[in-house]
Amino acid sequence: MYYQLINFGNEEFHAYPDKSLYWKRLNTLIVSDLHIGKSISYAKNKQFLPPYDTKEILNKIFVSLDKIKPSNLIIVGDLLHDVFSTLSLKYQDHKNLIQYMKNTDFIWIKGNHDENIQIEGFKNLTNYKIDKFLFTHIPIETSLFQICGHYHPKVKISHRGKTIFKTCFVHNEKIFILPSFGILTGGLDIHSKQISDVLGKNNLSIYPVGQDKVYKL
Amino acid sequence: MYINKSNPLLLHPLNKWMKKKKWSWFPHQIETFRHVRTGSDVVVFAPTGAGKTLTGFINPIDDLIKLKKFKGLHTLYISPLKSLANDIVRNLEKPIKELDLNISFQVRTGDTTPYKKQKQKQKPPNILITTPESLALLNSYENAKEFFHNLKYIIIDEIHTFLDNKRADLLSLNIERLQTFSPNLQRIGLSATLKNKQDAKKWLCRKKPKIVSYENSVLPKIKILESKERIPWSGHMATYSINEIYKEIMKSKLTIIFVNTRAQAEYMFKNLWLINKKKLKIAVHHGSLEKNLRLKVENNLSKGLVDCVVATSSLELGLDYGDVEKIIQIGAPKGINRLLQRVGRSNHNLNTPSKAILVPTNRFEFIEAKAAIEEIKKNNLDKIDLKEGSFDVVAQHIFATACAGQFDINDLYKEIIKAYPYKKLKLNDFRQLINLIQDGGYVLKNYDQFKRIFQLRENKNIYKLVNRRETRKYRMNVGTIIENPMLKIKLGTKTLGNIEEVFIQNLSQGDSFIFAGQVLEFQSMKNNLVQVKRSKSLISKIPSYSGGRMPLSTNLANSVRTLLAKSNMWDSYPEQITAWLKRQKNISNIPKKDEYLVEQFPRKKNFYTVIYTFAGWHANQTLGFLLLRGFKEFNYKPLGFVANDYAIVLWSLKEAKEIKTILHLGLLDKHLDNYLEETSIVKRLFRDNAIISCLIERRLPGMEKTGKQVLFSSDLIYTVLKKNEPDHILLKSSYEDAKKNMIDYDRLREILKKIDKKIILKRLKSISPLAVPIILEINRENLSKKETDEYILEDLENEILKEANVLSIN
Repeated sequence: MYYQLINFGNEEFHAYPDKSLYWKRLNTLIVSDLHIGKSISYAKNKQFLPPYDTKEILNKIFVSLDKIKPSNLIIVGDLLHDVFSTLSLKYQDHKNLIQYMKNTDFIWIKGNHDENIQIEGFKNLTNYKIDKFLFTHIPIETSLFQICGHYHPKVKISHRGKTIFKTCFVHNEKIFILPSFGILTGGLDIHSKQISDVLGKNNLSIYPVGQDKVYKL
Repeated sequence: MYINKSNPLLLHPLNKWMKKKKWSWFPHQIETFRHVRTGSDVVVFAPTGAGKTLTGFINPIDDLIKLKKFKGLHTLYISPLKSLANDIVRNLEKPIKELDLNISFQVRTGDTTPYKKQKQKQKPPNILITTPESLALLNSYENAKEFFHNLKYIIIDEIHTFLDNKRADLLSLNIERLQTFSPNLQRIGLSATLKNKQDAKKWLCRKKPKIVSYENSVLPKIKILESKERIPWSGHMATYSINEIYKEIMKSKLTIIFVNTRAQAEYMFKNLWLINKKKLKIAVHHGSLEKNLRLKVENNLSKGLVDCVVATSSLELGLDYGDVEKIIQIGAPKGINRLLQRVGRSNHNLNTPSKAILVPTNRFEFIEAKAAIEEIKKNNLDKIDLKEGSFDVVAQHIFATACAGQFDINDLYKEIIKAYPYKKLKLNDFRQLINLIQDGGYVLKNYDQFKRIFQLRENKNIYKLVNRRETRKYRMNVGTIIENPMLKIKLGTKTLGNIEEVFIQNLSQGDSFIFAGQVLEFQSMKNNLVQVKRSKSLISKIPSYSGGRMPLSTNLANSVRTLLAKSNMWDSYPEQITAWLKRQKNISNIPKKDEYLVEQFPRKKNFYTVIYTFAGWHANQTLGFLLLRGFKEFNYKPLGFVANDYAIVLWSLKEAKEIKTILHLGLLDKHLDNYLEETSIVKRLFRDNAIISCLIERRLPGMEKTGKQVLFSSDLIYTVLKKNEPDHILLKSSYEDAKKNMIDYDRLREILKKIDKKIILKRLKSISPLAVPIILEINRENLSKKETDEYILEDLENEILKEANVLSIN
């Protein structure tokens, strides 16, 4: 799998087209906003999305873990969509997760969607600090480098008379925002007010995610 | 007293009024009256101006007067357009008021106020004039049965617009529901002249079906603009003849210029405005304009306050604009029915002929225009093919039924298969549609605790809505018309109309474009509003609207082929056309009526294959893709193809020597699925299916979802579903829709079945005259969306790398 090299806070990261980020020095895989069980949570409002998202997201994660074999997996928030999500987490899924945890440390940061939810055998944290890096769902006031999720960034690209929207990795000097790893999740324009308030408008490094490749703008 | 036995209408309550107006009854009115009175369902075919509206109301008015002070709803009148419904009310008002008849009548559409709607439900009028969507809504109320149980007649106006689309499916299901409520209900259909009248009868009538037909003996006067200018080889804008068109407008009191797309309308309007030295009053009218602007134009038109209106099909139906003297049709007519409908907008009077001028925008269109005129002389209309009903509409109907109260699925199934489009609906498919409404219909039963409808414990055949709140969701999602994501355009505080989001995304601040006949500058986009200001810019873009393509009718296509082969006619054509065809005959060949000409020639470094099918754009587009696949298999290294209504051109690195082997029926069976997949046709239709079947909502209560978001999430759903549950009913439904509507499957099948024996293969040294128009169209892209996206990203990245001088490092 091709990756895009990203330098952030003087460390080497690899951005993969499956929307995961790999921190080379610490052999750590980082993903965000999986929103497991989004379909089941919609179903309670009678919007019956195909109930296969949980299965597909977990498969995606497992494929990635098998290939990269990281020693840590950090989930930067919104692993689960809401309290109903655990309903879609079948017994077998849970068993598989536990199995993977034997070789990989799972660090589950709380997001706004899952701060009050528990899964047996898993612990979730408000944020997590390694060296000068802070992993947090939503950026906070700090002098540390922050790696976050929450915003599901997308970029609008106009080129030769055509306009497309692409999911992307994006960072400024201090804050890195991951795309959503989920499969039924939408996105937000990086130039929207919500994201601009956090990243500013200038000096952004943007990495749109293509079919089999992460690009650099 | 002497009673004229041959005309029972002389005793009709309206006879007095007719006499006062010095009008006499038409034969078809008398015939309809007789048939309906003896219990028949009837379809009436008559041209505009032959008292069609009145024909529908003759029996209801007669009944209502005889019944004296009938309370409640007696007659329902269904109109395809809201504006037409209002027009009907005005027409009905005249005799009823003047004769002081004790009959109440009202209109009910999406524009009716909630207060009025509420009052109508409490105290229904005798005659209610409404649209298919409003009828579906009425049927979804709990008291629908009481509301309709005395209904005596349902009149379907302009029934020819209701035969081959999802709206027709919806209407047919609701008519059957009314029949269940009121078994004595009689059906009356009113239609423009149609070729396959029997099909319209089959679609509508149940009881002693009858056809009543009245043909107009006065033929319209249609001619082709005699231009001194050179007719261009390709293109669709008629710029070459703009001065001559302007002269034609000056010659007539009031002209409507019909074009085929909204972009053409804006463009034509702009060009006329540039040469408008005489300060003629010219207006533009199309479906994207704000309602008030449209009404203003319509009003000015009916009062004769304008000299000319440039319009799309938005002005095609119904409304009576008495003083229109001339119709100018820009571009190919595409179909006989459509052309006749348009031409009929002038001289709304039976005894004087309508006048029209056709302006071909390229050379092929000249032949097409000529062919259309020939067919109209022979009164050879297009056939409207009835289609099998779509699944998604049934799903919506099931939801509606549940909103009205608990129901027995066996009764519902029996009722649905009475509707003509659903005669062949399988019980198994119907059950899957029930499941779709219940919980999405997935194999994994994950949503057991979240069902929308559920089976009663004591009787598994009875289903019931889980809670009444769901009715609101149904009501917000009713209907079968799905629009592209649109944004409102605001000039100051004034709304000008709607524009496709895709178009706006391609604009930057300060860019100017033409809309509603004005040059506007794009300022900003906020909350789905596009702010613009007036601009004096001379360079401006014209918004394009997808879905504007009208396919060439089979009938007209055949006529074009016949005419092309008639070389004895050529000398009567303009010199340039004659020369073009003669040269083609010398260099290559002019195919006979049932032959398929295939030309192959080298050009630059590639080899070109042109196939003249005359099958219409949809079928040709499909065939082009299938051939691309075929060429790949034979290792001809194909590079691309372009299709139009008449032909397909493919270009490849190697010469396609075995073209005769490739062109056969097997091509279709082998590669069709692939085609649907790669071109995302099914994906696009899946979005419509998911919305119509209420799987995803158009809008959520309290939260306006923009069209864009719907598109986005339905794409994801499609991908997930396709991967995990390829047999899901909505995928099947989308696939069937694609076969029916987007790819002209049947037409293509017919051609491929017999093509191999009728190919005339010409290997040429260079391009032929007939091939020039289509070769000129090779600018369009033929990459799928997925490929385009990657291409844009790749290209942009390379450009940036080049700029940074790092390409060599990479």
